[in-house]
Amino acid sequence: MICVNIVDLKPGMVLAQSVQNHQGVLLLDAGTKITKKNIRIFKSWGVIEVSVKGELDELKAAGETPVAGVKDTAEMELKARFSNVLDDPVMVEIFNAACKLLIKDLPKNEHEKENSRPKKNYR
Amino acid sequence: MSMKKRIRDPKKIIDRIDDLPTLPRTVLKITELVNDPKSSAKDLARVITDDQILTARLLKLVNSSFYGLPQRISTVTGAIVLIGFDAIRNLLLTTSVFDLFADRNRKRQQKQEKFWDHSLGCAVGAKVIGNYLRHDNIEELFVAGLLHDIGKIVEMMFQPDEFSKVVAAISKENILMITAENKILGYSHAEIGKLLAEKWNLPAKLIQIIAHHHQPDVAGSFAMEAAIVHLADIFCRALNMGFGGDNKIPPLDRYAWESLKIQTSAIESIMETMRDEYGDIRSFIS
Repeated sequence: MICVNIVDLKPGMVLAQSVQNHQGVLLLDAGTKITKKNIRIFKSWGVIEVSVKGELDELKAAGETPVAGVKDTAEMELKARFSNVLDDPVMVEIFNAACKLLIKDLPKNEHEKENSRPKKNYR
Repeated sequence: MSMKKRIRDPKKIIDRIDDLPTLPRTVLKITELVNDPKSSAKDLARVITDDQILTARLLKLVNSSFYGLPQRISTVTGAIVLIGFDAIRNLLLTTSVFDLFADRNRKRQQKQEKFWDHSLGCAVGAKVIGNYLRHDNIEELFVAGLLHDIGKIVEMMFQPDEFSKVVAAISKENILMITAENKILGYSHAEIGKLLAEKWNLPAKLIQIIAHHHQPDVAGSFAMEAAIVHLADIFCRALNMGFGGDNKIPPLDRYAWESLKIQTSAIESIMETMRDEYGDIRSFIS
């Protein structure tokens, strides 16, 4: 069991202890697999950290990289949409931020998907 | 295309549409109550419980995973106390507007859904930017973002022939919708939206934002809010949220950017928050 700060919490982790809000109202029971939505709810109730099952290095493997080809296509599409406005330095910043965020959402590399499957079988 | 250019008056077009949707009276009443500091949760509950659909919808929302409460809320008063006046007004206005324009035509429906996704993205963006700037009326910004392109929906539903010409020009020339509209129709969705907002008696602030989200500097005393929606529009297009009718990002208005005084370094975190909140809200509205 490890204590994880809310910012490091990732979907798929399993709660080792139940989570309550400041009034002691139960938000999520121990043993539940956390989803993205759960994390948002924790944040909105001001939860700072939670206990999850597992070891430290297992959690570190959570940072995955997307497939290179898909990444390039996404970037090209974005560039086409920004084609007439990239002479504005602020737009370049917006473009870079969008690029980073969109790539994070892309389907993940097959190999790493295999590795993370045992922890992520909640689908 | 014929050589004689017909100048069309958007006002006449709006007047000609007899079955232009009207906002339900309950929603207007609720807006009034929310704006009145003397009204209580009980007053608001009385109006909501008169409408079964609104009641069901509200209870569904508070009991959804968006709020993540372990126990069920079964009374409207309980729901109001829990999520607050402004959030309730927002929810009801949002879902009512969605209903008004619900289309039974399957093909158009899909297209419309993407339009609404774009509007929802812009609404969330306006809210997040407003939050960052500590704006005092975030809920209103949300509604403004949601309604900013309402003119496009009116064109799509009530002027299908003109609209398809605009769509054809966009795909042929790869231009912004507003450019195509001005070229082909002689007016744009911003003007149509403004006229509809006036017809609905929406607050002056909303009318000005809808009318000037492409040129925030002419929005008078609401230039700041128009600038926020303008920026939110760019952010949500950059993040691929829905479809605003074209595949271009509109240029950033210098005036808008400079007046908002947003740190360049904050752009990424604003957009990230936007993306997260968009995912959440989308799941319970649809």
